[in-house]
Amino acid sequence: MEGLTRSFGKEQVLKGVDLEVEKGEIFGLIGPSGAGKSTLMRTLTGYLAPSGGEAEVLGRPPSEFGPKERRRVGFMPQGFVLYDQLSVRQNLSFVAGLYGLGFRERRRRVREALEFVELWEHRRKAAANVSGGMKRRLQLAAAIVHEPELLFVDEPTANLDPILRRRFWEEFRALRDGGHTLFVTTQYVGEAELCDRVGLLSGGELVAVGTPEELRREAFGGEAIELVLAGHPSDLAGRLKALEEIGRSVEVRQEEGGSGEPESRVRLLVDDADLWLPRVLASLDEVAVRSADVPKPSFDDVFFRLVEKTTRAAG
Amino acid sequence: MATKEFWGLVRQPQLLLLLLVGPVVIMVAFGLSLDVRSILRPSALVVVEPGSEGAELFERFRGDFTQRANIVGTTDDLESARRRLQRGEVDAVIAVPPDPLGAVANGEQAPLRVVYNTINPVFGTRVPARSFALVLELNQNIVQASIGQGIGDLRSVEGRLAELARRLEETSATAQALSSEEAREATAELDATLAALEGSLRALRAAGAGEEGEVSAALEDVEAARSALDEVREAQAEGVVERTGLSGLRSSLDSLQETLSALPDDVSPQILANPFRLVTENLATPPEVVGYYAPGVLAILIQHIAVTLASLAVIRERLGGAYEFFQVSPLGYGELLAGQFLTYFGLVLGANLAVAAALAGLLGIPVEGGYLRMALAMVLLTVASLGLGFSISTLAKSQLQAIQVAMLLFIASGFFAGFLFPLGEMRGPAVVISYFLPATYGIRALQDVMIRGQTVSGFDLVGLLVMAAVTLGLARYLMGRKGD
Repeated sequence: MEGLTRSFGKEQVLKGVDLEVEKGEIFGLIGPSGAGKSTLMRTLTGYLAPSGGEAEVLGRPPSEFGPKERRRVGFMPQGFVLYDQLSVRQNLSFVAGLYGLGFRERRRRVREALEFVELWEHRRKAAANVSGGMKRRLQLAAAIVHEPELLFVDEPTANLDPILRRRFWEEFRALRDGGHTLFVTTQYVGEAELCDRVGLLSGGELVAVGTPEELRREAFGGEAIELVLAGHPSDLAGRLKALEEIGRSVEVRQEEGGSGEPESRVRLLVDDADLWLPRVLASLDEVAVRSADVPKPSFDDVFFRLVEKTTRAAG
Repeated sequence: MATKEFWGLVRQPQLLLLLLVGPVVIMVAFGLSLDVRSILRPSALVVVEPGSEGAELFERFRGDFTQRANIVGTTDDLESARRRLQRGEVDAVIAVPPDPLGAVANGEQAPLRVVYNTINPVFGTRVPARSFALVLELNQNIVQASIGQGIGDLRSVEGRLAELARRLEETSATAQALSSEEAREATAELDATLAALEGSLRALRAAGAGEEGEVSAALEDVEAARSALDEVREAQAEGVVERTGLSGLRSSLDSLQETLSALPDDVSPQILANPFRLVTENLATPPEVVGYYAPGVLAILIQHIAVTLASLAVIRERLGGAYEFFQVSPLGYGELLAGQFLTYFGLVLGANLAVAAALAGLLGIPVEGGYLRMALAMVLLTVASLGLGFSISTLAKSQLQAIQVAMLLFIASGFFAGFLFPLGEMRGPAVVISYFLPATYGIRALQDVMIRGQTVSGFDLVGLLVMAAVTLGLARYLMGRKGD
């Protein structure tokens, strides 16, 4: 999509979004409530027409989707929109019918989808009598029952406990591994870690796009290597100079350790910590390195940093 | 809690508008539309032969006719009048016989034929009831006028008798005078006067006017006087000069005058005789009250169930989120509507066919036109009602709003669709409203089929088809627009 905008009356909810999603990946769209995630998803599914810009999904503008394109797309809405009075299997069979699956294929796919979300055992229960988590899984099964190439999933883990959230992501990964492309929105910033690529949406603008590591580097200007050195090495200044040639910035703090012995804490920012850590350790030859760590800041921090940077840049 | 409920309502202005203004609008429209004058004075076309005695009688007693009916005109063509009745242009046809008094003279009652056309056993009694009152009034007024004239004749005869008796006395004063020309004229006039008096008295007795005994006594005196007069006239004819029989005649006339004067001047011309008899004819056969209302109940039931179910169908899916799910799927708007339509169509039609069968089987409700025609009428009504319901559903902002509109339609149908009050009695806004209610066409169609044994009229057929096409088309269009 290029320069995609969508307005409701005078309010512009999407403000020129540029984005490309690769085939076979889990793309996570992350942002707080009201950021425009659902609007962007609805525009991509063809439910809403864009106000401006261009969007193309499966090679065609979503607003021009015909039945053929729609069969290639799956959609899992935020809430449970199926029918409480129908059984788990009846609900899924109904959805399979919507996508034009024949009787035999429908039976097969309903079973496969229910087994995939581990609801086969509960197939005869009325949807009203299953738990909230099961309803979400049933909704996921409804989204994949017709084996779509592209799956839109709108806030699947909202209000679920951490165990269920993890389980959902495991299922998403299994789907991706099965060749599906997933476009997932979530307000849990931490779930960005579980995506192949992530887009950060804030106030209708796409703040950043990349892999989780790329976003981290973008947020903090690189990755940190934290070292704890024994004592206060006499030639530390010279060694730090060597470190400055490797990283972007070096911070040193001298203090007493837990056993009362003096120690020096060094924080070094590099492009790629995994790549640069061996060289850093090599440059500290003959210095007792008590520990070396590559801390990963939480994605909450990453998100705040990126939003802050964008806000500052906007002036 | 109360505050929350209050603000919850206040923030739904459309719902409040429906709750408050809807019923008021219905009641106002009803008040403006129900024309009671039409119920009290049904419209009637009078069939009368121009220049006939019946025509003269109609003009003379036109006031009686216009008091009971709104006379829209006269014609001499009974068949064309019946056709206008069939078309519903008038409520009744009144056929006045050409020679009513001739029939009375022959000792028969003249038939006043009133033809009407209704299946409504409740409001349908207005024409025969008004006809009965009309005939009663006519009979009273006609006989009242006749007897009034008779009483006047009686008083003038009384004076005439005294005058003639005096003349006869004077002309017979001489021996030759009894056979004189003047005396002969006096006896001839006396004879004619007595004959007229006898006729009037017999009419009074036949009409039951006055005291039975006094009228009979007067008749006996007239008979005696005529007998005495015959003797005098025989003597005149033979040229007898003596005053033969004059004293007897005088005595009889005195007695007669005394009897006549005893008859009260204020004899009430109340008429018990009925020169007209009422003959009514209903072109339709009204069923029992339950049988009459059954098609209406069935039509209202079909409309209400169909509108209620359909009015919730789209809004429920939309508010529940399923609508968005459907729209992402290959399902088109038309297919979505068709799927819901077919389900509700089967449900509503099946349930109401079962109700109709139960009504016919258990309550003996007539299905004169056969079950197939009845089912056709029900199909048409169901389709139109579902279309209306789907239109409401696509326009409603909440389920409560949709239900509220469905309820208003239900109430409006009771008033304006011809269920409680005949459509013919409605004017102004109610007529306009009735065109937009499927039940208006449905009630009439089911009554035609079930009671009259006819097929669905072209008007109702087209009305329901147009309503179905427009409402379903509108619903389809609005469903598509929601996705933009």
